[in-house]
Amino acid sequence: MTVYETDVPGVGKKFEVEIDSSERLVVLLHHDGKREVFHKPDPDADAERLFTLSGKLAREVGAILQGAYFQPVETDEVEVPLGEAIIEWLDVSEDGELVGETLGEANLRQRTGVSVIAIQRGSDTVPNPGPEETVTAGDILVTLGTREELAEFEALVESDDS
Amino acid sequence: MAELLLEVGIALTAVALAGALANRVGLSVIPAYIVVGILVGPNPPSSVLGVSLNLVSDSEFIQVLAELGIVFLLFFLGLEFSVDQLLRDRGRISAAGGVDFAVNFGLGVVIGFAFGWTLLETLFLAGVVYISSSAVITKSLIEEGWIANDESGPILGTLVFEDILIAVYLAILAAVAGGGDLESAALSVGTAFLFLGGLTAVAWYGSGWLDRFFRTSSDELFILRIVGVTTLVAGAALALGVSEAVAAFFLGTGISQTAHVERIEHIVAPARDIFAAVFFFSIGLTTDVTLIAGVAALLAVAVVATTVGKFLSGTFSGRFYDLDRRRSLRVGLGLVPRGEFSLVIATLAAGIGTGRLATVLPAFTVGYVLVMSVLGSVLIQQADTITDALGAPSG
Repeated sequence: MTVYETDVPGVGKKFEVEIDSSERLVVLLHHDGKREVFHKPDPDADAERLFTLSGKLAREVGAILQGAYFQPVETDEVEVPLGEAIIEWLDVSEDGELVGETLGEANLRQRTGVSVIAIQRGSDTVPNPGPEETVTAGDILVTLGTREELAEFEALVESDDS
Repeated sequence: MAELLLEVGIALTAVALAGALANRVGLSVIPAYIVVGILVGPNPPSSVLGVSLNLVSDSEFIQVLAELGIVFLLFFLGLEFSVDQLLRDRGRISAAGGVDFAVNFGLGVVIGFAFGWTLLETLFLAGVVYISSSAVITKSLIEEGWIANDESGPILGTLVFEDILIAVYLAILAAVAGGGDLESAALSVGTAFLFLGGLTAVAWYGSGWLDRFFRTSSDELFILRIVGVTTLVAGAALALGVSEAVAAFFLGTGISQTAHVERIEHIVAPARDIFAAVFFFSIGLTTDVTLIAGVAALLAVAVVATTVGKFLSGTFSGRFYDLDRRRSLRVGLGLVPRGEFSLVIATLAAGIGTGRLATVLPAFTVGYVLVMSVLGSVLIQQADTITDALGAPSG
């Protein structure tokens, strides 16, 4: 594979990449960060413009091509900011303090200020759970509260030794 | 003050509108800036339907901005001057550039003498018709996608060759024209070369120092430093009787050896664009359209001859790059547009202001650039139709 580099005065740099014996990709790097990519099916053909990217997009696409682009999602740390309050998904562990209690008995709102807005149980979701809903081990509680409130609440649902 | 500010406001707004209009139609902005300058300037047409069009006078302020336009056009030319490219490809570039120069500069000389111009006037005329427009051509190359094809090699190579040549040409011409008799001419040529030699030495041996001098984390301080030094060097050159444009070009080549090129492209290019737009506009301001009518015959001859000249020399240059017939023809079409540098030469001529240099040449150049920049872009856009007609169909 050969890469040819040429300066284009007033514009930027041009790179020509041999894909195989005949096909070629031509990448034009503009001074302002814009990138244009052309494709030549064979050396004698006219290049056709495939796409134009801004500098930021070009870097992301480049990372994907390198196989270096991923945005890890930590399921137990997903947070959606809502001003001061955030939404957090919490796993209820076997020996959590709440296991077996209904939401009403637990009186969570008074104790911690956190509201439970949904419960995910296996593949089911219980939206807006009422006070009669029982918390069981393995549930995922979708909760709403400030960072401090949630920290306090977390102590109730997760195992003591974590 | 209020009057001047209002005038400058009208000028800049007119330029902005003209640029937007040209962009919409898909033509080069350079002729649009000139035409709008002609319209709102002091020369005819001075009224439309009884409303005065004499809105902007050629004030000293606009002249200074226009002068900065010339300085920064040439500064960027030096900045983007690719020495490595030139050395790597010197064989083909000098072959293509040599043919280009011989045919087109030669044509200019022949036309000048045929119309009974003096040697100095003819040399200026030859420069005007010889030099292609980097701005119009590179923009067209990108729009047509030719930039990714093989025909871009000889086109860009020829432009690089023309860039060096125009720097040398301006230096010599400014020096020769500045002196009256042989002795003072020799003296001014000597001064010019001493000054430019000093600049070149700083550029080559002082690139480390230049690099440190411009190093700053603040964009504001950076642009002030670049614009300040460039303007100071250009002004000093002019005070010594050396072409300010050439001095700016050499300064640009010096800075092109440092790590600041990209940053200048980002931060200083917008300033250049404003100054350059005012330069084209001010050319329009000072143009008397009635004078262009007076050089109609010369204009017609020059347009036809130099369009054909560039077309033939460019097509021939394609051979040095082993291009097929169709791509060679495209090289010929691609080099036709003339623009900013022809106007720079004409401005220099007007500054000397003897004989035809003061009136006829500037008027001719404006007419010539208006025709050639538009005609050149249209030829590039219609290239496929033309090459098909010439029996070089697309493969």
